[in-house]
Amino acid sequence: MIEALPLLLWPLLACIAIAGIHAYLGFHVVERGVIFVDLALAQVAALGATIGFLLGYDLHDPAAGWLSVAAVIIGAALLAFLKAENRRIPQEAFIGIVYAVAAATAILIVDRTPEGAEHIKFMFVGNLLAATPAEVGRLAALYLGIGILHVAWRKPFFAISHGRTEGMSTTSVRLWDFLFYLTFGLVVTQSVAVGGVLLVFSYLIVPSVIAMLLTDAPRTRLAVGWISGIVVSVGGMIASYQFDFPTGATVVATFGVGLALALAYRGLVPR
Amino acid sequence: MRHRIHPLVRIAAATAVALIWSGAAHAGARLSVITTTPDLASIAEEIGGDRVAVESLSKGYQDPHFVDAKPSYLLKLRKADLFVEVGRDLEAGWAPGLLNNARNARVRPGGIGFLDASAGVAILEQGGRVGREQGDVHPLGNPHHWLNPVNGLVIAANIRDALTRLAPAEAKYFHDRFVSFESRLKSKLDGWRKDAASLGLTGMKVVTYHRSWPYFAEAFGLDVVDYVEPRPGVPPAPRHVQDLIELMKAQKVGLLIVEPYFDPKLPSRIAQSAGVPMVVLPPSVGASPVARGYLDLFDAQLDLIRKALGGGAP
Repeated sequence: MIEALPLLLWPLLACIAIAGIHAYLGFHVVERGVIFVDLALAQVAALGATIGFLLGYDLHDPAAGWLSVAAVIIGAALLAFLKAENRRIPQEAFIGIVYAVAAATAILIVDRTPEGAEHIKFMFVGNLLAATPAEVGRLAALYLGIGILHVAWRKPFFAISHGRTEGMSTTSVRLWDFLFYLTFGLVVTQSVAVGGVLLVFSYLIVPSVIAMLLTDAPRTRLAVGWISGIVVSVGGMIASYQFDFPTGATVVATFGVGLALALAYRGLVPR
Repeated sequence: MRHRIHPLVRIAAATAVALIWSGAAHAGARLSVITTTPDLASIAEEIGGDRVAVESLSKGYQDPHFVDAKPSYLLKLRKADLFVEVGRDLEAGWAPGLLNNARNARVRPGGIGFLDASAGVAILEQGGRVGREQGDVHPLGNPHHWLNPVNGLVIAANIRDALTRLAPAEAKYFHDRFVSFESRLKSKLDGWRKDAASLGLTGMKVVTYHRSWPYFAEAFGLDVVDYVEPRPGVPPAPRHVQDLIELMKAQKVGLLIVEPYFDPKLPSRIAQSAGVPMVVLPPSVGASPVARGYLDLFDAQLDLIRKALGGGAP
């Protein structure tokens, strides 16, 4: 294990950075009941990069990156607008539709580009073991910046997440929702490029579910979410090395084990 | 670019490495060779013999475009003396990141232990769009070059040169093994070409699923007229399937070739509708139990084609 430590250090730090922001964002996502919003926004970002492809930009071209960001802005606006318009239709329905239509449109565009879908698939697979110090630094800086925005805007964000929108105008709910989905979309698209869709989804949802099982106090919940995210990252990395399994999938499976342990504890120690 | 290195620099580098490695080679330490695919591993074993320990990162039944990285890959690359890739962006989705993170400057691109096996190979479908009817292609060319045995010789020579750079004291050993490989491959190649001709493959029109077979077609005279997949990774549209069946009937296509990692349901329906035999052909060593080494691969492929075309044993 010791000889592998320097090789696995940056992938592990990438996981811990991802755990830091996603365990927090996960509380909003679970409270709002928009579980698959990360998949939808990641798919919208990929659609942006695909359009870049059509215009002749390589996947690693900064222009493709900006097109992804533009697509996320449009996606965030769409999600905020659709929520406010239709209270009777669950938000998850729109999220699913945005996901499916963005994925299908990407296929249609790829059908007209020379290189085909293989490069688009790379956007969703991620390669945790290839995480470089520069990449981890970039992730950490972005997460920190967005984390600060979330601390500054915590009152309206949490009010909407908890459904306490009395006294807020429709326009201001839309605006705050747009900002929430925008910051959220910028985070997940960067995380997905490093860790892959499956891994990012797990970091978003599982720590907050574990924390909700174990405690009710908001601050303790956040702490439990972070601790479980970090413990699972370290445990998953060790398991991946010991049993020589693909790293991303091992971390996701370890999240399953963590949740099972939390459920077992809840079963043994009722509230 | 690597080919334009000044000869004096090459000699200096070789000497430096000789000083470092001659000791190791004499002490009986094997050079550690890590390849991306089992085809390259098989050729490296042919050339390196007992002076090397060879391992492939991907298995023959895996699509080499997508390989799930494991921590052991990083450890292997860190200890590797030589890394060999197919090149032409085949491994672009996973290998560069791993090389970057393995903390072994020797096997990074430009290092003395990095080998792009496609160097010097006559690459097909290179340089942008060829035209709608032939499909649009990758700027670096089609990466499935090991499927022409003639290119196997170029790969073997590349590996021989790389190993000789790393262990100059063993130059004669590697050279002798290359000569032996070359003569076995050439005599088998005559047999394969005769087999292909007797199976009627020369000039036969074929359709393939993915664009994996242009080099195989080049080696044995097949004529690839269309693909099941209109673009790599894009499932075929209904009209494309319909057009394809019509085209296969009209042009009297003789065979439909499918790679083992695609779902055979749709292609077998296409083959049935067009009345054309279909064969699932392993593109790599290890993709089928009979294709254990590079030289067995073509035996296994031609055998499968013979069975598909309804012929018995030769």
